[in-house]
Amino acid sequence: MQDLITLPSITFSEVFSTKNGAIYQSDSENCWYIDFAGKLARFDYRNLLKLQKAVYQIDIENLLLSSDKAPDLEIIFICACDHCYVLSLIQIIAIKELLQGTFVMLELNHIIYDRLHRIVA
Amino acid sequence: MKDIMRTKCLISSDVETLINQQIKKEAYSSAVYLSMASWCDRNGFDYSSDYFFKQAEEERMHQLKFYKYVLDMGGVAISPEITNIKIEYNSFREVYEEALEQEVSVTQSIKNIAARCHKEQDYVTLEFLNWFFKEQREEEYKARRALELFDVIGEEGTGRWEIDKHVGKISYSED
Repeated sequence: MQDLITLPSITFSEVFSTKNGAIYQSDSENCWYIDFAGKLARFDYRNLLKLQKAVYQIDIENLLLSSDKAPDLEIIFICACDHCYVLSLIQIIAIKELLQGTFVMLELNHIIYDRLHRIVA
Repeated sequence: MKDIMRTKCLISSDVETLINQQIKKEAYSSAVYLSMASWCDRNGFDYSSDYFFKQAEEERMHQLKFYKYVLDMGGVAISPEITNIKIEYNSFREVYEEALEQEVSVTQSIKNIAARCHKEQDYVTLEFLNWFFKEQREEEYKARRALELFDVIGEEGTGRWEIDKHVGKISYSED
């Protein structure tokens, strides 16, 4: 994948992006940076999986059909993680799309990595 | 780009989810056997009660084996919540019918995990599962034999007492 931002010691690789946000991987720190909802947040392996689980668990259909007067805001709080998202329904759909794409790309990266570096041809 | 996901965890998230479901299933099995042990004890079937206590222990051991595997491979093992455990049974025979059904259900569920592993070429988990397949051979055999005692001995007269006495003697050998 193309290296986008190069700082003196940190190199980010873009994993996946949509028009609403992007996720970058930092090989030197073994973590990911999520650029979404106006902030850049750092997630390690455990927290990224927890975020994925939290977002996937939201019943979007139910929120869409709900006629409650309550605002359609969801608070995504992840245990032992510094970041928290307060997202509207549109943003939830957007972050879900971003995460789905990211995990597909990470899987693809795994396959490519296997083929290039691990499997003896 | 580094393959961080793979270096952190050997099993895929699908296999991890399936094993976590299996952990719950084994825990449920253990709880059901414990309940059967209680029913048998209350109704005077001492040997059967001992048999089910032992089965409960075994299922618990299976649960822990799966649990530890998920952790060892870098996954998240989830301690399950167990509800809906039956307390009363209609008959002595029904207890054994349900015990066999329980074992069949466990075997089928492990087969399902193996099918997924084949698809993903997860030979590591497949090899781990082999131990359980061997174990299920014995478990199903014992449960089936126990139920067959009801037909072989018959429940009339002192039949149930005879059946209860024989249950503890059922053993499986491959030879």
